[in-house]
Amino acid sequence: MVTDTNKPAPANWWRWFDPRQRDIGTWAFILNRITAIGLTIYLFLHLVVLYQLSQGPDAYDGFLELAKSPIIVIGELLVVIAAIYHGLNGIRIGLTTFTDTSPFQRAIFYVFTFITIVGSLIFAVRMFTA
Amino acid sequence: MIQTRADTKPGEGTGLWFVKILLGLFIIVLLLVHLIVNHYVGEGALLTWQNVVDYFSNPWIVFMEITFLFVVVSHSLIGMRSIILDLNPARGTMKIIDWFLIILGTGSIIYGIWLALKIASFGG
Repeated sequence: MVTDTNKPAPANWWRWFDPRQRDIGTWAFILNRITAIGLTIYLFLHLVVLYQLSQGPDAYDGFLELAKSPIIVIGELLVVIAAIYHGLNGIRIGLTTFTDTSPFQRAIFYVFTFITIVGSLIFAVRMFTA
Repeated sequence: MIQTRADTKPGEGTGLWFVKILLGLFIIVLLLVHLIVNHYVGEGALLTWQNVVDYFSNPWIVFMEITFLFVVVSHSLIGMRSIILDLNPARGTMKIIDWFLIILGTGSIIYGIWLALKIASFGG
């Protein structure tokens, strides 16, 4: 219930990310928010970096050497994990919105989280061993 | 606050809400292709400049990547607007934010199309 003390406002933005006394549905919501913001920031950084492609092979392949450093690979992996989670959570929200699957939303969340972990591991192995 | 349904909210019309959902579903397919090609297939899970140019030599790939750019930029900025709306900003502030998002989105899509065509042109 929204009251005067917990009414959303720009000064209270941090409450989205307050994990205390949350249930699974709210954790899904918090993760959806965090991944949405992270992926949006990444998207625009990605577009800026890809400008190197227009400058020819020397510029772009030189950048790729930097992109192979472990810190950048970890960052890329976080983006992949966020993308898989955000996509699957979107399917979960779509399912519970447009079909009669609301009673199973908790189970769907667990299944999709499991798929996120497996998919992330597959990409992690490939990205760190290729 | 439990999000089990993707409902509209004050300030977000049904049309914009539906576009966000529709684009999200569309992105899932395109994102899967994009992630596999760009972060799984290449050596070191990264494509070299020549790999990218070869990939963009197929006009359907150029079309798919531009479509992906359009839907991902639109979905992300409508999503950001939706998050900002949850903070109950003042109407005047929201108007400024709307214009900022429209200019950012339009500029990004125009730049992305130029970049995709530029990459494709390297392939002759």
